[in-house]
Amino acid sequence: MSDATIPATQLQVGEPGPGVPKVDPILIADGVRRSFGGMTAVDVAHVEIPRGKITALIGPNGAGKTTFFNLLTGFDRPDSGTWSLDGESLSHVPAYRVARKGMVRTFQLTKALSLLSVMENMRLGATGQGGERFGAALFTPLWRKREADITAQAEELLARFKLDAKKDDYAASLSGGQRKLLEMARALMSKPRLVMLDEPMAGVNPALTQSLLGHVLDLKNDGTTVLFVEHDMHMVQTIADWVIVMAEGKIVAEGYPSVVMQDQAVIDAYLGAHHDTDLGSLTGQLEVAKDLGDSFLVEELTDEIGEENTDAK
Amino acid sequence: MDFSFVPLAFGQLLSPLTIGYALAALGLAVHFGFTGLLNFGQAGFMAVGGYAFAITTTEFGWPLWASILATVLGSVLFALLLGIPTLRLRADYLSIVTIAAAEIVRYTVKTPAISSFTGGSDGINGSSITFDKLDPLPDITYGFGVLRFTNDDLWIAIVGWIVVILAAFLVRQLMRSPWGRIVKGIREDEDAVRSLGKNVTWYKMQSLILGGVLGGLATVIVIIPTSLQPDNYGTQTTFFLYTIVLLGGATTVFGPIIGSIIFWFVLSITDGLLTLLVANHLIPLTSIQQGPIRFILVGIALMLLVIFRPQGIFGNKREAHFSV
Amino acid sequence: MVKARTGRMRLTRWVLGLLALAFAVSALAVGPAGSASAAPTPVPTPAQTAAAYPQSIGIWVRLASDKSNVAGVSVLITGPKGFSQTVTTDKGGRALVGVPYVGDYKVKIDVASTPGGKLYPTTGVAPRIVAVDKGDPGIPAFFLLSPTIPNPSSGGSGGSGGSNQPTTSPSLGDLIFPRLATGLIFGLLIALASVGVSLIYGTTGLNNFAHGELVTFGALVGYTVSGLWGMPGWLGILLAVLLGGAFGWVQDLGLWKPLRKRRIALIPLMIVSIGLSLAVRYIFQIAYGPDLLVTPSDSSSFLNLGPVHLRFTDVTSPIIAIVVLLVVAYVMLRTRIGKATRAVADNGALASASGINVERVIRFVWVLGGALAGLSGALIGYYQPVSWQTGASVLLLIFASVTLGGLGTAFGALVGSLIISVLVDESTIVIPSNMKLVAALLVMIIILIFRPQGILGRRDRIG
Repeated sequence: MSDATIPATQLQVGEPGPGVPKVDPILIADGVRRSFGGMTAVDVAHVEIPRGKITALIGPNGAGKTTFFNLLTGFDRPDSGTWSLDGESLSHVPAYRVARKGMVRTFQLTKALSLLSVMENMRLGATGQGGERFGAALFTPLWRKREADITAQAEELLARFKLDAKKDDYAASLSGGQRKLLEMARALMSKPRLVMLDEPMAGVNPALTQSLLGHVLDLKNDGTTVLFVEHDMHMVQTIADWVIVMAEGKIVAEGYPSVVMQDQAVIDAYLGAHHDTDLGSLTGQLEVAKDLGDSFLVEELTDEIGEENTDAK
Repeated sequence: MDFSFVPLAFGQLLSPLTIGYALAALGLAVHFGFTGLLNFGQAGFMAVGGYAFAITTTEFGWPLWASILATVLGSVLFALLLGIPTLRLRADYLSIVTIAAAEIVRYTVKTPAISSFTGGSDGINGSSITFDKLDPLPDITYGFGVLRFTNDDLWIAIVGWIVVILAAFLVRQLMRSPWGRIVKGIREDEDAVRSLGKNVTWYKMQSLILGGVLGGLATVIVIIPTSLQPDNYGTQTTFFLYTIVLLGGATTVFGPIIGSIIFWFVLSITDGLLTLLVANHLIPLTSIQQGPIRFILVGIALMLLVIFRPQGIFGNKREAHFSV
Repeated sequence: MVKARTGRMRLTRWVLGLLALAFAVSALAVGPAGSASAAPTPVPTPAQTAAAYPQSIGIWVRLASDKSNVAGVSVLITGPKGFSQTVTTDKGGRALVGVPYVGDYKVKIDVASTPGGKLYPTTGVAPRIVAVDKGDPGIPAFFLLSPTIPNPSSGGSGGSGGSNQPTTSPSLGDLIFPRLATGLIFGLLIALASVGVSLIYGTTGLNNFAHGELVTFGALVGYTVSGLWGMPGWLGILLAVLLGGAFGWVQDLGLWKPLRKRRIALIPLMIVSIGLSLAVRYIFQIAYGPDLLVTPSDSSSFLNLGPVHLRFTDVTSPIIAIVVLLVVAYVMLRTRIGKATRAVADNGALASASGINVERVIRFVWVLGGALAGLSGALIGYYQPVSWQTGASVLLLIFASVTLGGLGTAFGALVGSLIISVLVDESTIVIPSNMKLVAALLVMIIILIFRPQGILGRRDRIG
């Protein structure tokens, strides 16, 4: 499994390390800061995401990964900072425009629209639909052609994600893992340049894990860049070409997976003084956070536990 | 005993309130049922539309088409005023702001300072002049049994129902289009829709405008055969509309319309029955105490509907799950 | 399925039982429902010439010094379309004038007819303008007489009126301070209810539209005990608190707890509270009739601070409110249940995970909210006449206060109430008094636009 080796052609320019420049970056961010109350959640000095590769963003809970995602995609506003996709600035661009520019994200807590059918979910992901304008919507002939096209595209994607049998069901009837798949498939409807997956493995049952990994690799083979947040080290080791490690809002390490995982800074960031605590469980992480006196992390974790509880209901 | 209230209740089918509330409820269904906007100020849209029509008709002497245009523009303006600051806020904030805005409208039109325009607490009579001029029906009394309608009553009822049906088909077409798909997506999770590149705030605004215009036009149907009274557009009107929408099914197009018919029919029947019982001393209530009973019934009906049949009579149980 | 059905039937029974209880309490308070409409005491106004017209002006002339009524003063009323009438006050210092038209009327005291011919209205000798709306009976035109000619520039209390102003116009201080006093008093009264709304929102997420009815309930209990049964006022207030708490407890047990168990989402719950509000409000109307009800109290001036004249109840009510709010603050900050409440409001899941009994906290909050609303209602009964819709009419003020302070922060609710209430009263200096609620609501909307989390709310919580 851990046979991920350093590729023949390097991704970075110079020695791997935090903020190292890339040979062919698609996304470049500079000085992105965001604080809540007195706590600095994100403070990224410089980072570049390599084009056409799979990059993993890892780090302990509360490291600011999801907040960083939210900032890059326009779902949250930074105190300061700039970033650009293929040279086009995306700072202060609203979330929907970020998506239109080809940078589409998924969410940690799946946002499959459960009261729409699977097919309607997919169609919603498509761009350039004339029928989305109020006036044109009133006249079916104006959008019938485009509707047929995107339906065909959706059917193809659904078949690839093995959801085609479910296309007329409400998304509510899907399992947690299927919803993750649907959300990913829906994001692909717009043929994005950069896909950002927030914990694609969370809550997915082991049987689906392999196929999910396969789909992420397929994305790369199609030329799409992938940036994902993940806790599952197995997934990171298996598919990531590059790993970025965040802790306390900063990027503390960057490099090839096999190398980064051995880095002492990374191990420290993850484990701290708690070698014995089960960091796989949220309550275990909460314990650590409480000991560290990290009130922001405590809050985020308890929110997460709360969300899990409500999800469980 | 006089049981004529039973056939009279059927007359509700042609009453301006039934028709107007059907249209306003359809507008509210666009907001609440389809888009998930918690608009507690539909009465405010109704008032704005009604005053725009009544003032331009009676004060300025505008022709019918111009007054209707003013009604539409008034509702659009109100939607913009309300929507621009609040549509990005949480749902419960929208509810408080809309209910407050509706009350602001009601207090403002009642203020003596502008009563030369708005008629103060008296409201405005005579909004029918331009509309009734177009009445092609012979000037005789229509009806059968105890039901009696003048030609003008019947004229507005016919036109009113045509408008309601047209509006229903318009909404149905929209909800089956990609536009409706976005709006229904927003109802459930606006961040998901946003992440797919849709300008969520703008769609919410369009929905607010559409439902608001339907609310504004609804008042035109109500006030042409009656008069415009500011206190008819208080918070209880909005709550009546919610009862109607939930009765028929908030996520259906024809539910609110059937809901309005059932609502006013049942109220009319119960009022008649109560009058009968009170007059014959069969229940220990005075005729003054009889008035509030309908509100108590509406209140209880609203609670029971939300708890036990949130999808309404015609709604789909699965779609009735309102998101928070 | 069977279980679901029995659950459903139980809930239906509870809902109906709850309404029956509200009804029973109302009926109990008033006696046989049939005689209810005769029971309420309307605002005491002498029935004179007023009957002929639907609207009338109620004149009341008293001495500024001891608030004793002044009889035999002749008052000239002039109005639209040449209306002109002179009336003389009766031995209660009152006169009621029926007026035929809607519009502004001028009401002028004939100084020569006052005792000794040397008493002047404190508001100036110029006529008072009274706006008459359609069907408004007994629109107040009250006067206080004092032997000094009112002159703002001659050093009235705290006023610094411009020297160019006519001597008859009141000084700025005379305009501001009485309104500040009434605003603060009323603000403290609605703060009691606002804190309850805020606590319930904080712990359950419910925007309780039926909270106004808890206030009305307290007002009606107070009126029933001391107004109808003639018992001492403190007993009425105490019973309003106890029964208000009981009403809150029954509401939670009978309605909200079962609905929480059914996992009904917040927006449907909000609509349920609207239905409950409508039903209970009109049950009150059936029981107490549509009229204004006056809880008896001493209306003479108790404390005079410059231009501010306060009745006994104007002094005691805010003191009671302040003491109770301090006690609530103590409970919230220092006791176990208070800390648990704040923990639940802060993060229910975490509180639950750390062993706090969330259901118990919510029950506590409902009882506390009900009791505070009951107290608020009873005290409002001493501040102004009440009716079946008193709570509904202050509900928007309560919401405005809570929103202004920041949804879910109890201290913010208090601050918001004071600001909103003072603002409402002060706004009548520049806008017509029937627009004063508009000012409050507009301020609320503006605050929401620029600071959605409210004055004291935390920004991060806003989605």
